[in-house]
Amino acid sequence: MEGARRRFISKPTEKRLHSVRTAGRRFRSLLEDVAELAPSAKLLGRVKRAAEQTDAARDATILLRLLENSVDPSERHLAEPLLAKLSAREKEATRLAHKRLRRARFTGSRGT
Amino acid sequence: MKPDPVPLHGVTDGIELARRVLDTRVCEVRRLAGGLQQRDQQGLHDFRIACKRVRYALERFADLDSSLETVAKHFELLQDALGEAHDRDVLLSVLPVAMGQTEQRLAAEREASVDRAVVLWAQAQELLLDCPLIVLEAASNHS
Repeated sequence: MEGARRRFISKPTEKRLHSVRTAGRRFRSLLEDVAELAPSAKLLGRVKRAAEQTDAARDATILLRLLENSVDPSERHLAEPLLAKLSAREKEATRLAHKRLRRARFTGSRGT
Repeated sequence: MKPDPVPLHGVTDGIELARRVLDTRVCEVRRLAGGLQQRDQQGLHDFRIACKRVRYALERFADLDSSLETVAKHFELLQDALGEAHDRDVLLSVLPVAMGQTEQRLAAEREASVDRAVVLWAQAQELLLDCPLIVLEAASNHS
């Protein structure tokens, strides 16, 4: 997950954001499955926060692509304001995710 | 939705760890499968999250039993179908009222995705029964 985070920080693309989120979900699943043997509440909290910090960007991207691909041609003009709003939200949310993930760390024993 | 806790007391090896985790996650997904029948947004969402947890657990332990990898791939397809339905639910909730044609198309796609998920879930249950590491008693209790 730390590798995925670093790649996203060096170049914040949609694909790299997806990688951060996928790695985070797998890591979170592992921590939850073995919580009784290896409690790691602080690390789990950091992983959950990282997911939350990227939710808005990913949601906006998915909705934008879906609307672009499914809008009926006769209603394209009605969709334009929503498309513009989603596009702006995607950019801003990606910028925020990048800013917040710069400070996150998922290596070492600190906080585990 | 918080995951069911996995009881790991007394676990001494990897096989037993895998059994306990898979048993818990399979029970959880079976318990939440009612959401698929009801087809409501929250029920489908909870079921999708449970499918995700099962899939990751199956992938994690696939080295112990190769049949788990096949089931994991099936759960990935199921998760994709549920994800497509979820995305359409979210878009439908913010779509301007005047976009009736687009709304109809999205609603039809949503129903088709749920239909596909129903079929995939039935197949996944059959595949789970063939996995030696998954406790059949627990599975049958929730069928």
